[in-house]
Formats: sequence, structure tokens, C-alpha cells
Amino acid sequence: MSGRRYDNRAWLGVLPVLLIVAFSAVIPLMTVVNYSVQDIFDMSTRVFVGFDWYRDTLRDPRFIDALLRQIGFSLLVLSVELPLGILVARSLPRASPRTGLLLVLIAIPLLVPWNVVGTIWQLFARPDIGALGAAVNALGIPFNYTAEPLHAWIVLLMMDVWHWTSLVALLAYSGLASIQNLYYQAAELDGAGRWQTFRLVELPRLKAVLMIAVLLRLMDSFMIYTEPFVLTGGGPGDSTTFLSQHLTTMAVGQFDLGPAAAFSVLYFLVILLLCWLFYTAVMRDRDGADVDAN
Amino acid sequence: MLELHDIDLGAGPFDHAFPGGAITVVLGRNRSGKTHLCRLVAGLVSPGQGTVRLDGTDISSWSPGRRSVAMVYQSFVNYPNLSVYDNLAAPMRARRRGGGIRARIAGRGDARMDIRVRELADRLGLTPYLARLPSELSGGQQQRLAIGRALAKQARVLVLDEPLVNLDYKLREALEQQLRELLLSTGVTVIYTSSDPRDAFSLGDEVLLLDRRQPVQHGTPLAVYQHPDSLAAADLMSDPGINRFVEDDIHCAVRPEHLSLAADPERPQRRFEVAALDVETNGSETYLHADYLGHPWIARLVGLARVRSGQAVTLYAPADAVLRFPGSADG
Amino acid sequence: MAEITLEGLRFRYPDNPMDTLEALDLRIASGEAHALLGGSGAGKTTLLNLLSGLQTPTSGCIRFDGRDVTALAPRQRKVAQVFQFPVLYESLSVAAMLAVPLRNHGWSRRDAARRAAEIAARLDLAPLLNARSGDLSLYQKQLVAIGRALVRPDISLVLLDEPLTAVAPAIKWQLRRVLKTAQAELGATMIYVTHDQTEALTFAERISVLHAGRVLQTADPETLYEAPSHEQVAHFIGSPGMNLVPGEITAGRLWLAGHPLGGAPGLTDGACTIGFRPEWARVSAAPAVSPAAAGTSIGGVPVTVDAVRVLGTRLQQPEGLVGIRVGTTHVYTRQPIDVAPGCPGMLHVRPERLLVFRDGARVA
Repeated sequence: MSGRRYDNRAWLGVLPVLLIVAFSAVIPLMTVVNYSVQDIFDMSTRVFVGFDWYRDTLRDPRFIDALLRQIGFSLLVLSVELPLGILVARSLPRASPRTGLLLVLIAIPLLVPWNVVGTIWQLFARPDIGALGAAVNALGIPFNYTAEPLHAWIVLLMMDVWHWTSLVALLAYSGLASIQNLYYQAAELDGAGRWQTFRLVELPRLKAVLMIAVLLRLMDSFMIYTEPFVLTGGGPGDSTTFLSQHLTTMAVGQFDLGPAAAFSVLYFLVILLLCWLFYTAVMRDRDGADVDAN
Repeated sequence: MLELHDIDLGAGPFDHAFPGGAITVVLGRNRSGKTHLCRLVAGLVSPGQGTVRLDGTDISSWSPGRRSVAMVYQSFVNYPNLSVYDNLAAPMRARRRGGGIRARIAGRGDARMDIRVRELADRLGLTPYLARLPSELSGGQQQRLAIGRALAKQARVLVLDEPLVNLDYKLREALEQQLRELLLSTGVTVIYTSSDPRDAFSLGDEVLLLDRRQPVQHGTPLAVYQHPDSLAAADLMSDPGINRFVEDDIHCAVRPEHLSLAADPERPQRRFEVAALDVETNGSETYLHADYLGHPWIARLVGLARVRSGQAVTLYAPADAVLRFPGSADG
Repeated sequence: MAEITLEGLRFRYPDNPMDTLEALDLRIASGEAHALLGGSGAGKTTLLNLLSGLQTPTSGCIRFDGRDVTALAPRQRKVAQVFQFPVLYESLSVAAMLAVPLRNHGWSRRDAARRAAEIAARLDLAPLLNARSGDLSLYQKQLVAIGRALVRPDISLVLLDEPLTAVAPAIKWQLRRVLKTAQAELGATMIYVTHDQTEALTFAERISVLHAGRVLQTADPETLYEAPSHEQVAHFIGSPGMNLVPGEITAGRLWLAGHPLGGAPGLTDGACTIGFRPEWARVSAAPAVSPAAAGTSIGGVPVTVDAVRVLGTRLQQPEGLVGIRVGTTHVYTRQPIDVAPGCPGMLHVRPERLLVFRDGARVA
């Protein structure tokens, strides 16, 4: 376009936001980066140690274990919640007067505070008095999640699935609701079966929302802290100690500020990397969808 | 009078004056700058350069609310939660109370407004539906309501951006017939955009042709039709598009309605040997799609004509109906 | 391809006191290009859904080649449909998309691919076989949707629901031409549903005009244009439609606004509606004749010109529509514009072209 007047006054309008972001995000972050390259004895005695803490952290078997545990947990959670959420969304009636009520019911677990979720399942799964734990034991299967790492993992998984499948279901439902009836009619006339209708009509339309669901769930599960802390306290042993809990133990429990800061920065970078990967994936997909919409 | 001075739609500056109290049909294809021009007059986009004057006053920097300009869009924009009556009354209330939400909550107000709403509804044929919500009206009624709301604003300029494109064929025909009478009775300056030259004839006192974001010609519809300055102008003022050919390195054109299957023995004729591709008809007229030396041609014939696809056909046109544009680039 | 027979087909929504479709009888020959023409609310969509099997009729039956298919589900009927806008499997290539209906009906991969390529070639889609729907224009997408409807050779009926809606106006005729050519070559039975008279008259050999749940007339384009059986048909066909004005029959003569227009032999006296097309009438700028004198000459009705609409020129003379008012009715004539608004004029109608309607139906 030619002949348009431009000036830079608009930047003045952005200034307040820049200041707020600086105070809320950039300055605390830089403090952490600063800590991560120093050895701090007390407030007046500190030594610059370069990347020592980073090297130590990356070689720390406890860090590596926690990271692997974390990745395993996130992948497991996703592989259950994604198909289950889609299944729930597909079984919801569309455009029925009951749909609104059902959606609210489904959303209830999302409204429970996280530490309450942990408490609920801690009680529910207790081998002595919990409805679940006691019932399983009564069937003759020995079950004790406070002693058996496998049992602890199962309970943890069930808890997360209970808590978050609704989110995937709601997102998938919104994706399904945007598919016009004509597409189902056309598939029906083509003689397409249920699976083919899902694969050819629904899945392509769900791709964008499922990307968002994967992104949200991956980030969230990567930062999980409250629920396992309440449920298992990271045990038995270290078997359910994930990254955030490991970090808390280090920083608050042992007051190792330097290593904790280095750990934090690494943790932050891992999450940033994941975010970026999914962002590019989603945006690429969005471009494709735009072309199609025309 | 609405004057544009040194205005740029994206392809260089121009001046144009819309005569006051008359209907100017702005004719152009998609992306010819029609909608941009509407938004510019309404104040929804800043002109960047140049000025917009209304009856001598420079309104270029005025906000849309302050300008005395009303606008009707392609889609039927009404207040969905207000009745037809309140929709028509809303602009009057807003004007009296300086706008805002309070105006909507306000009571029915004085008798003069009531009379005016009912008179407007009568002229628009909406009297039986005053208590209904817009969603309970047909498409044609909804768009009449939108036009009524624009008229109720009593603005000095009314901008209609292809208001009938989203209507059913027969509805469109019916509404077109009432529209000119309705618009002229208000005495406002009307800018009406369209891509259909029939609108220029049926509605316009003036026509302004836009091609690629620039005006190419203006004048009375018949004058522009009979004496196009360029191929682009001839094509815009032709429904369907103009039939082109090149003769002695000069760009020539014949209008679809000047072609016929039979020669007129009383006048000198041009013959064109074409290959028929297809015919389409609405009963009253038949459009013959054909190929003439690689150019896609269309002949508009009266009545139902049966021509088979692929058939060789001779078309005739009065020799003086051939338009010649020496030096005109293909546009 | 099959012959389609509708016998007393009726549909009513459970909570609706009125029939959406009233007992409908229609026979469409095998290989015929048929159009259903009607405005919104005429029952087009309901009839379409009954034919494809998405809705079940309240009574009556549908036969394909004599076989009663009324109770069959859509997939068992061998019906294909093209929708208003292209409905495609966007994750598949054109070739894969065209093969889906075949693969679903037991075709081997190789045979399906060969047939898909054959149909693609017929629709000029061959160069696009490997493209995905994201790379196609709307025109090409709709062409693929048409291909998908035509790909099964065992299909009984192809339904087209305003298939040109999404395509740019200037190239609609091209898509229709491809469609029509394919229809003729494949001998497909097609039902084309539209509100656009041009599309119906151009596409179909025979047209059924649907209004308020009833088929008013089924005929070829010429008959619908020249001899509509019903006022609604007369109004719907043509642009603008037929003029319909209240008239009177007295002593075997047809009277319009107190002036004789022509003879009406064999019709009983009383009120009627007179129909004539704009192209069959002409207004001439009459010298100011006294109404009494004008009344004596058959075929002339004194009128006042309301408006003129230029549509172009012929022989350098502007021509188009002349609008006049007869009583409270607007009437149009199509002619050279040699009269001006506000002028008195004389309306002449070619007497052999006068149609007479009573209670909506044509009687002469």
C-alpha cells in the first residue's frame, strides 16, 4: 500500500505492558539465572562458579531419574486421556437439551482444587478404609499404594485421568460440534463405516483442537506437583518423585540455592522447548486449515 | 454533495464528487475497492491522505458516529434482541440521547418518533411485523429492516454496500423495484455499490465505474453504456461480460445483447462464426456461451433458443454496434 | 441407473398440523436430467431427504426401477448426493477420495483406482489426481464432489442440492456444462434441486415446480414458459416473471380494468386473473385518446407509465422494461424505451398470448 502515513506513537501505548512484563517475568527470571552461576554461602559471601551447577545437575542421577519418570508419566497420561476424551466427546449427544447439563457434569473434576484432588484419591485408594483400596483387597488382590511403586503409579495415573480427561473431552466436543451434518450425510451415502467416518470426517477436523489438548496436557503434566505431593509424597522411595518435587526438595528442603537455580533454568528450558515444538506444529496446521476455508 | 479529493484506494489518488440527493451506483468487481470506498466515506477507515467533504465541510477526521452517514451491509445487520419497532426507533433514540445503552432501555418516547417509525415501517412493508424479532423475518424483510434503520438515522449520506447480494433471486427482483422510489423519497445522497450493471440502470442517476481500485469512468448509466472510454469500462457496464476480439491490431468488443442468430436485412451486419459451448436460459432470455477465435464469448438472445453444444453457429451484430478502442491495452 | 417413481409421497413433521409435502406423484425416467424448482419453504429439502433416505415419508412410497425402497437406509439405496458446497474428505488426495465409495462397496484397490482415474478424466480432473483438497479452488473441489457422486457405476440416482451455490457466478455455467455432459455420457438419472430458474431451465429436460409442498407442474422448459398451468409457475419462470392482473370475463370477452383485451370463448362469466409475459406486451405513447373512445378498440388499455428500466440498447435505441400500473397491480413490458415515466400510454398484449387463471390454475 502506498500513500499511508505511519508513525511510532503506538509504541508509547505498549510501554505499560512492557514494564509490567519486566517486573513480573524478566527480573525474577534473571535473578534465578544469576543464582545459577554462583555458589552462595550467605547473603554477603558468594562465588562465581560459571556453569558448574549445570554440569553437576545434568550428571546427577536423581535429576535424570526424575526426568525419565516425568517423561514416562506424561506420555502415559496422554495416551490414556486423549483417546478416552475423544470417546467421551463422541458419545455426547449433539444439540440436545441435555447436552448443556452433561457438559457441566463432565467439567466438575476440573473445578476441584488440586490439593483436594490429591486428598480425595489419597482417601479413596487407602488400602484399609478407602472405597477403592479396600474393595481391591477384598477381592483377594494385595494392594497397597504406599508400599508398592507400581500400585502408587496406578493410583496416580487414575487420579490424573479422572482429573483431566474432561478437559480433552470438552475440547474434542467443541471440535466435533463444528462439523456440519452434511459431512456425515455424505459419508453415510458413500457407505462409510463408523471407523472410516471417524478417520476421514472427524479426525481431520479434530486435529487443531487435539493439538491444543496435547499441548495443555503435556505442559500441565510436566509441571505436576500438588497431587502426587498430597497422595504419595513422592514415594514409596523416590518412585513417584517428579521434576517439580525434586526441585522443591532441593531448594526449600536443603536450601541448595545454586543447584536449584540451575535446575530451574534447565526445567524452564525443557518446557520452553516443548512449547515451541507444539506451537510450530499447531501453526503449521492452522495455515493448512486457512487455505482450506477459502 | 459529497466530495472526495486526492483519495487513494491503493492505486493512485483521484477526485470524485457524488451529486447530492441523487443515487450513485458504484460498479466494480470483487476487490475493485468498492467496500473500501464505502468504509472510507462512513469513516470506518482513515483515508490516510486526501479529504472527504460533505456539503463543503471537511469531515475526513470525524469519527463514524459524528458523520451524518448511515451504512447498510451485505449481511443483514439488525439488533437481534430488539423488535422491528425498536430496531427502527433505535437510531432516533440514540440521536436524541446521544447514544449509548440508556437509549435502548428508554421508553417508547414521544409521539413524533412513533409516527415516524410507523411511517417508515409502512413504506418498507414491515407494518404487520412491528412486534417481531429480526430472526422471525424472511431474508428480504430483514434487509428491508436494515435499510429502514439506516433511513431512520436521517443521515445526509446513505451508503449501501451490495445490500441485495445475499437474497434469493425472486426476492431480489422484487426489492430492487421498490428501492429506487424509497431512496429517492428521502432526498439523501446515496452511494450504492454493486457488481451488476443492471443495478446501475435500475437504481442509478449516476454510475461510477471502479476497476482495480481506481475510477475508470462516470456519468449517467446510459451515457457510460453507450460511450465507454475503455475496454474495462465497457466490460464493467456489460452483463454478462463484453465479447472481445482484435482486428487490425485494434481492440474491439461487442455487447452480448447486440448479437443475434438472425441477420437484420435492413442494416449493415457483421458476421461472426463461433463454436457454441453451452446455452443457459431463464425463459425470457438465453445466454449462448461460445468460442470465437479462442475468445470466450456470450450472446444474450431473446426468448428460448435451442443450440446444441459444439455446433457451429453464425452470430450477427449491427456493424455500428462494434466498439473499437484504438490504443487501449487489454484490461 | 434407475427409473424413479414417487407414489402418493407425503411428509408431515409430528408436531406440525400441516403437511410439509402433500401427496406427491412423480415419475422420472432412467437417465433423465430432472430439476426441482421452488423457493425457500417449498419442501425441496424434505423431498431431497426422502429420496436419499435421511427422512422417512409419513405415507406413500418411493420406487427405484419398480422396487420399493421406502424402508431402505441411505447406504442401501445406491443414491449419491452433491451438496451446496463441496463436502470432501480433506485429508485424502483426489484419487483416494474418488476411490472411497468404491472401496466401501467391495472393489479391489486396483479396480477402484482405475475407475477413479476414468471418472477424473471425464471431469477434466486427471491432472489433479494427486492434489489434496487444500490445494484446490472451490470450482475444482465441487468438481471432485461431483466425481465422487458419479464414480459408482451401480448408482441408481444422483441428487444435486443447489450444486453451483459456492462457485463464482461467472464460471457457474462451466461447471454446469461439465455436469450436463457427464450426465448425458453416463446416462445418469439426476435430480437437481434449485431456487434459480436459470439453473433449472438450463440443466433439466423436465422441471417440476414445487410450491408449498405441492408439485404444481412438471414439464419441459418451453411448456413452463409458454403454458404454465398455475399462477405460481407463471411467476417463477422468466425474469421478471409473468404479469398477473385481476380481470373479468363478460359475454365471452376478456376485460382488463374496464377495457376489452380479447376473446375468451367457452369461459363462464366472472372474475379471473389475466397472465401475459413482459415480452408479449407493449406500451406505446398514445396520443391522448379519450377513455371512452379507447374502450371501443379491442386490445388497447390506457395506462400511465410508472418507471422505465434500461437494460441495454438495440439498434442504438435503449430497450428494457417499462413499468406500468393497472389498478393496484404493477405490470412490466419488455420493449424499446420510447415512453417516459408519467406519460400516458396504451397497453397492447398479443391476444393469442393471453392466459387466463382461475383459483390459481390456468383455464385458458
